[in-house]
Amino acid sequence: MKKIIALNVNEIPYELAVEPNRSLADVLRYDLGLTGTKKGCGIGDCGVCTVLMGGKPVFSCLVLAVEAQDHDILTIEGVAKGPELHPIQKAFVEKGAIQCGFCTPGMVLNALALLNKNADPTEHDIRLALSGSLCRCTGYQKIVEAVKTAADMMKRSGIIEEEAE
Amino acid sequence: MLPQFDIIQPRSLDEACEALTKYQSAGVVVLAGGTDLLVDMRKPLIPEHLPRCKGCDPRTGTAPRKVNKPPSYLIALSRIPEMSGIAVSEPGEISIGAMTTITDLCQSRIIREKLTALAQGADNLGSPLVRNRGTIGGNICNARPAADTFIPAVALGAKLELRSQRGLRLIPAQDFAVGPGKTVREEDEILTKIIFPVSADRTGSSCIKLANRKALEIAVVSAASLLTLDIKGKISSARIALGAVAPTPILTPKAAAFLSGKDPSDANFLKAGEIAVSECHPISDHRGSLDYRREMVSVLVSRSLAAAFASIIV
Ligand SMILES: Cc1cc2nc3c(=O)[nH]c(=O)nc-3n(C[C@H](O)[C@H](O)[C@H](O)COP(=O)(O)OP(=O)(O)OC[C@H]3O[C@@H](n4cnc5c(N)ncnc54)[C@H](O)[C@@H]3O)c2cc1C
Ligand code: FES
Ligand code: FES
Repeated sequence: MKKIIALNVNEIPYELAVEPNRSLADVLRYDLGLTGTKKGCGIGDCGVCTVLMGGKPVFSCLVLAVEAQDHDILTIEGVAKGPELHPIQKAFVEKGAIQCGFCTPGMVLNALALLNKNADPTEHDIRLALSGSLCRCTGYQKIVEAVKTAADMMKRSGIIEEEAE
Repeated sequence: MLPQFDIIQPRSLDEACEALTKYQSAGVVVLAGGTDLLVDMRKPLIPEHLPRCKGCDPRTGTAPRKVNKPPSYLIALSRIPEMSGIAVSEPGEISIGAMTTITDLCQSRIIREKLTALAQGADNLGSPLVRNRGTIGGNICNARPAADTFIPAVALGAKLELRSQRGLRLIPAQDFAVGPGKTVREEDEILTKIIFPVSADRTGSSCIKLANRKALEIAVVSAASLLTLDIKGKISSARIALGAVAPTPILTPKAAAFLSGKDPSDANFLKAGEIAVSECHPISDHRGSLDYRREMVSVLVSRSLAAAFASIIV
């Protein structure tokens, strides 16, 4: 039987009727049309379905939509401010950290969760934060460099202090 | 796609126990973080698993996850506030709610200080995405022989509190699992908390996982040790638990008994490692061969003992 749930996605409140067996990934993609959230393995191994739930990265393929009720969800569509890309996204473009792009939404969101709590991550911190996300194209090095660059950009522009408040 | 089911999201433990009893005949399971359960319920995308080496045993969790008859009801524990959190319940006791996430264990200062082996086990579980959703209760109830928080819970002498409408009981962690994925938990029981004794001074612990990769990998072998010294600096007691070398997490009582009354020296730790080898029953699978696992038991036991000793603050 369908359940009515309230979801806050990218700061927009939604009220949705969903079957209990539907994943958050499916509801985001097929009910809300937010197809930036990708689906890969469906079993927690690849990280392409990452969204932030209450600020923490989670795999939306293994979260039931009914269990996401009352949580704030941030998807990749909510990361840029209008046409202005987020510094992490800019850094990914600049550093060539995107090839096919399939892993990129998950990588960016995992990086965002990291930088929100750690403005000055070491390479180890970055690799650890991204360790649940697979990339078949880049070899990871450029992604790690992009996150480092983004951290520097964010520190310079004061974004990190702002968000930490 | 997941099979059809209905979900119940109780707000209290009483309600949850009631629902779990009520829907028994219809088919019901408990949902914690879902990182094991939802994977198991999902139809496998790749229907057949071809073992990469001979001897890959289908009973050890390296085989395809079989889809059991899907339950009609899931009871989600996520809305029961009393089920998560870390508390010093009584002097000398730390109680961890079954719904406490692995990330919460990693970030807790008191756990890192007092139950070091558990913090280290949690550090090594899956990936940040898994740790943010997965719970200690789910990890233990799922009862895989390599479960990363279960092994330290056995070494640290934890007790599991199981609750149902029929009442409450406490089970020592080492008696909980009876086979891969099988436990003494009755169908109507909920694991509510895991209670750890916090030993007096001169106690240290450590957990080491050997895996083929640093993230998203199940242990080839894991070893957790708890070591207590007497005032003269000799070992007064030791407990050693092993993962992935038997159908369940196991203790190695002979190796522990050997250490009792001895000096905490590298030579004695090495000897204890050798004794532990005689107490485990590993198999060969694609993660490692039987012989390799036996070698690694000896190495990991002695290293975890040395690390437990090094963590003792005197
Ligand atoms: C990609 C990936 C990587 C992983 N890597 C590791 C790893 O490295 N090491 C490791 O040990 N595990 C690993 N796991 C397994 C899993 O994440 C852990 O076992 C986790 O702790 C399970 O917790 P959960 O809350 O998600 O449990 P769930 O999936 O919700 O539940 C697991 C089982 O326990 C039962 N259950 C849960 N809570 C209770 C309770 N309170 N009372 C009674 N029954 C209960 C459920 O009914 C179910 O049968 C991995 C999983 C994934 C998807
Ligand atoms: S699709 Fe969710 S982790 Fe792969
Ligand atoms: S860019 Fe193709 S998977 Fe990462």
